[in-house]
Amino acid sequence: MSTTEQEIAASTARSTANQSDSRAPQFALTPPHSSGTMAVTKRNGKREPVDLNKIVRAVTRAADGLFSIDPMRVATRTISGLYDGATTRELDELSIRTAAMLTTEEPEYGRLAARLLSEYIAKEVAGQEIHAFSQSVTRGHELGLINARLLEFVQANARKLNSALDMELDRRFDYFGLRTVYDRYLLRHPKTRKVIETPQQFFLRIACALCEDVNESLELYRLMGSLDYLPSSPTLFNSGTTHEQLSSCFLLDSPDDSLESIYKRYADVAMLSKFSGGIGLAYTRVRARGSLIKSTNGLSNGIVPWLKTLDASVSAVNQGGKRKGAACVYLEPWHADVEEFLELRDNTGDEARRTHNLNLANWIPDLFMRRVEADAQWSLFDPKAVPHLVDRWGDSFNAAYEQAEAAGLASKQVKARELYARMMRTLAQTGNGWMTFKDKSNRACNQTAKEGNVVHLSNLCTEIIEVSSQGETAVCNLGSINLGQHMHADGFDFGKLADTVRVAVRQLDRVIDLNFYPIESTRSSNLKWRPVGLGVMGLQDVFFKLRLPFDSVEARDLSTRIAEEIYYNALVTSHELALERGAHPSFADTRAAQGELQFDAWGVTPSDMARWDALRENIRKGGLRNSLLIAIAPTATIASIAGCYECIEPMVSNLFKRETLSGDFLQVNKYLVEELKQLGQWTAEIRDRIKLAEGSVQDIKEIPERLRHIYRTAWEIPMRSLIDMMAARGAYIDQSASLNLFMESPNIGQLSSMYMYAWKAGLKTTYYMRSRPATKITKTTVTAAAAPALAPVATQEQAEAAVFCSLENPEYCEACQ
Amino acid sequence: MPMSAFDQSHAIGISAASTPPQSRLLDPGFNLTLRPMRYAQFYDMYRDAIRNTWTVEEVDFSLDVNDLRNKFGPAERHLIERLVAFFATGDSIVANNLVLNLYKHINAPEARMYLSRQLYEEALHVQFYLTLLDTYLPEPEARAKAFDAIEKIPAIRHKAEFCFKWMDSIDKLDRIETREQRRQFLLNLICFAACIEGLFFFAAFAYVYYLRSRGLLHGLAAGTNWVFRDESGHMAFAFEVIRVAREEEPDLFDESLKADIAQMLDEAIACEQLFAEDVLSGGVAGLSLKDMRQYLEYVADQRLAQLGMAKRYHARNPFAFMDLQDVQELTNFFERRVSSYQVAVEGEVTFDAAF
Repeated sequence: MSTTEQEIAASTARSTANQSDSRAPQFALTPPHSSGTMAVTKRNGKREPVDLNKIVRAVTRAADGLFSIDPMRVATRTISGLYDGATTRELDELSIRTAAMLTTEEPEYGRLAARLLSEYIAKEVAGQEIHAFSQSVTRGHELGLINARLLEFVQANARKLNSALDMELDRRFDYFGLRTVYDRYLLRHPKTRKVIETPQQFFLRIACALCEDVNESLELYRLMGSLDYLPSSPTLFNSGTTHEQLSSCFLLDSPDDSLESIYKRYADVAMLSKFSGGIGLAYTRVRARGSLIKSTNGLSNGIVPWLKTLDASVSAVNQGGKRKGAACVYLEPWHADVEEFLELRDNTGDEARRTHNLNLANWIPDLFMRRVEADAQWSLFDPKAVPHLVDRWGDSFNAAYEQAEAAGLASKQVKARELYARMMRTLAQTGNGWMTFKDKSNRACNQTAKEGNVVHLSNLCTEIIEVSSQGETAVCNLGSINLGQHMHADGFDFGKLADTVRVAVRQLDRVIDLNFYPIESTRSSNLKWRPVGLGVMGLQDVFFKLRLPFDSVEARDLSTRIAEEIYYNALVTSHELALERGAHPSFADTRAAQGELQFDAWGVTPSDMARWDALRENIRKGGLRNSLLIAIAPTATIASIAGCYECIEPMVSNLFKRETLSGDFLQVNKYLVEELKQLGQWTAEIRDRIKLAEGSVQDIKEIPERLRHIYRTAWEIPMRSLIDMMAARGAYIDQSASLNLFMESPNIGQLSSMYMYAWKAGLKTTYYMRSRPATKITKTTVTAAAAPALAPVATQEQAEAAVFCSLENPEYCEACQ
Repeated sequence: MPMSAFDQSHAIGISAASTPPQSRLLDPGFNLTLRPMRYAQFYDMYRDAIRNTWTVEEVDFSLDVNDLRNKFGPAERHLIERLVAFFATGDSIVANNLVLNLYKHINAPEARMYLSRQLYEEALHVQFYLTLLDTYLPEPEARAKAFDAIEKIPAIRHKAEFCFKWMDSIDKLDRIETREQRRQFLLNLICFAACIEGLFFFAAFAYVYYLRSRGLLHGLAAGTNWVFRDESGHMAFAFEVIRVAREEEPDLFDESLKADIAQMLDEAIACEQLFAEDVLSGGVAGLSLKDMRQYLEYVADQRLAQLGMAKRYHARNPFAFMDLQDVQELTNFFERRVSSYQVAVEGEVTFDAAF
């Protein structure tokens, strides 16, 4: 630490010297600050000199148990960034940011920053005379934020709840997680904007709001506080508040082919967006361009102008300042406007026909894929001519489609492969235009046993598969298990997983009854089917902890077994709930009532068939409380809170920057850092080389090959393995999963092969096609520095070469495949 | 683009082409010969620049306005007003020098292609800052004041005077004939590359990235990313011209030129520090004057290194948030648009490609 001080002293001396020998100092400069002369303004308004030792003591206090950090470094850097007369609040904030910025060097600085932030938040709350949990809830109620039900529950059990609060659990957060909670989740005073609860008070509030008795709520609180399980963001945002809209997803059937219906949908979408929901909306029933409008004898402009209006409407609804609204539009590829639909997100062309805020998905029947494979023709129809196609799937759809073709009802014919190639181009250029498969989604859905119950679309993130109709808007409540927290010394802890699943399913089921329903069609549907979506996050963390390469057979087997255990225990819990409270009203219309479970639709036989047969029998007799149980959501924000990798996804980069509404944050792969530290390889040079290589370690030959193999990024593992892994777990996922696919520089050939494979593997849905920027921003601090101590020239050249090849020769680049 | 990559990839082509002593880059005239191409690297830079095309319309300022209204104190508001005032005039000055001086004297058609592209980019930047200014400053009076920055705000006037001094120095020069004239021209070019684009703008970027590291003004930061990428290209071009001129006439870079460059950088740092005193006069935690000075010295050392000169200030980068600039981003689609997708996709439908 003396080096740091010397550095600062030296640089101060240098500045002074430069000033005097500078040859044109025509204007006076402010003398450099030194900590000796600087003062801070305290919270009570008094000024006092900045005391380096005081800051060092505060940092050291927060750093117990962290052995790789230098408190003096944080303190001196903090003071160096300070101006004379700054407030102590600014001083605290600066020390937190300073520690956070050192994370790339040493992940423990992230822990330190989190602890400093935890203290900062505690001070903010205590400064408003809020100490115990019950005080926080009472204040929230006084301010009109908390509902009476929660207030009564907390007041009735105040003593027990207050003493259960465990501040130590704050230590599980890393900086980004806690920052996210602080910036966006904690309740704030409507006027002063100060937070009125600490992170643990927040978790306990959510737990109390979601349970009926104290012991249950304490059990749920421990799970959340330990970051073992987290409900989805809408549940975290709104539980216990005066607007308890707790669901994540809404799936709206296509508006009918009428002006009234189209405009009613805009209102539905706005109401659902307002309280944090993501929207899936089908559009296949609306007539195509050129279709006759009888009443005015004019010709329709097709769906694009309606979607343009939807686009504007969605971006106008700001979800309580927390995030912007978001929606995904689903269209079947036989709709005559499909080609224009695929161009909606292009950056060029007529802006009147572009929708930059909407996500797009293709809802694809098997027949289309078969025609693509056979290189056959494909017919496009005006829905007005074939209104029945939307409600058919499987053989019934095939027959109706071919009949319509034979009757000459098609507006136009194209080569199936040409349309498919356009879909692939849209995926490559915009990442959007997701491939989701209508027939498998219907065939393998528990809700479609009775004819007429049809899945018309998936949701905003392609993990929900539920029936919808004009009167039924599908809803789903989500929560995700943090798999990395379910490990013991010998590997994965299936016992703990089973316990977590039981608590989680009960909580998700409870949300259905508590929920505030913004539009009536959501209430009727949700109470009838009672679907929930239990998912996972941190699968990559499990693999890192067990040192399993993502594409290994062991990894796939473990992932499948985890999925099977979650599905089994979720069914068991839902069956228990059915015995306690009754099966969901439409249970008789489900496949489960006939003894059919998800893996049957996949032709898969689980290993321990005896327990499954017993469960099957129990369900047939006693029913299920929930028609659907499992959905793997993207977990973008809650994985940040939990400090784990997202859902079932491979790591995207060993070093990356998150740009969010709360500012920019560096994320470095803590598992890799640990491994490299053990080898003495976590050096500034290696760090810069990882940075230059955009987070890849593949060209750093000093790192042992086995490690490099484990720490491949999503761009570096074969996508075939991701699809195979998804198909293997699919037998136990009764809804679907948000499966992103990654390709550095995609071309049509690769994408068409990949999505054909995904369809044949039996996936219900896929999500974004992630590709990388065509051009990259210049490195400021690494390359421009051209400093001798930095990356050797060879690496720089390679980095340049990699950029060059992907730019100039996307097809011939072996390195990217 | 790092200099070293250009050095290596084009060294052979240049030395072969530069054997006939009569065709030097800074010789007067309007060379029209593109084949055989003498300086392929300039043509490559031109094409790279085209590939980086962006438009002001892609930048979403909607969150910025909310930030300014609700999250900015007087000190930060002052900072942003000064910054916008500087940006609004800075790029125009650079564009003027490009047209009046650089285009005239850099005598290779492929290099002039790059300069034409750069001129467009400077106009784009002016358009970006104009849009920014109109969005940030709703009052017509405040807008007019911002464009009056050169006259009304002493710290900006100092910077402008510094620029004009080096522009005027070769203003009267219609043809570069003598060694002394070539030397003067080089100094002008170095001033623009190392001091104006390479130091003044880098300081301005630091303010922007500081704000972004606190989650503020995402629209400004997004546009600045692209401006920053363009400016990096302009600098790389200018330094390459300097390198070629030096290779073709090695004794141009003598001790007296180096002394002039050092003095120029000292002056530029002093100008920018004066500006910093004004910008930060309200007190902004995380941006002290001392750190700003150290940052300027660190940047100046980098420019010296790019000119193949010894470091002068030996300062380290004090701003960790500038490191963030180098790391790949991962945008959560709920929060902002992902703007990094590929532009051109090729190939045909097959079912047996590797993936």
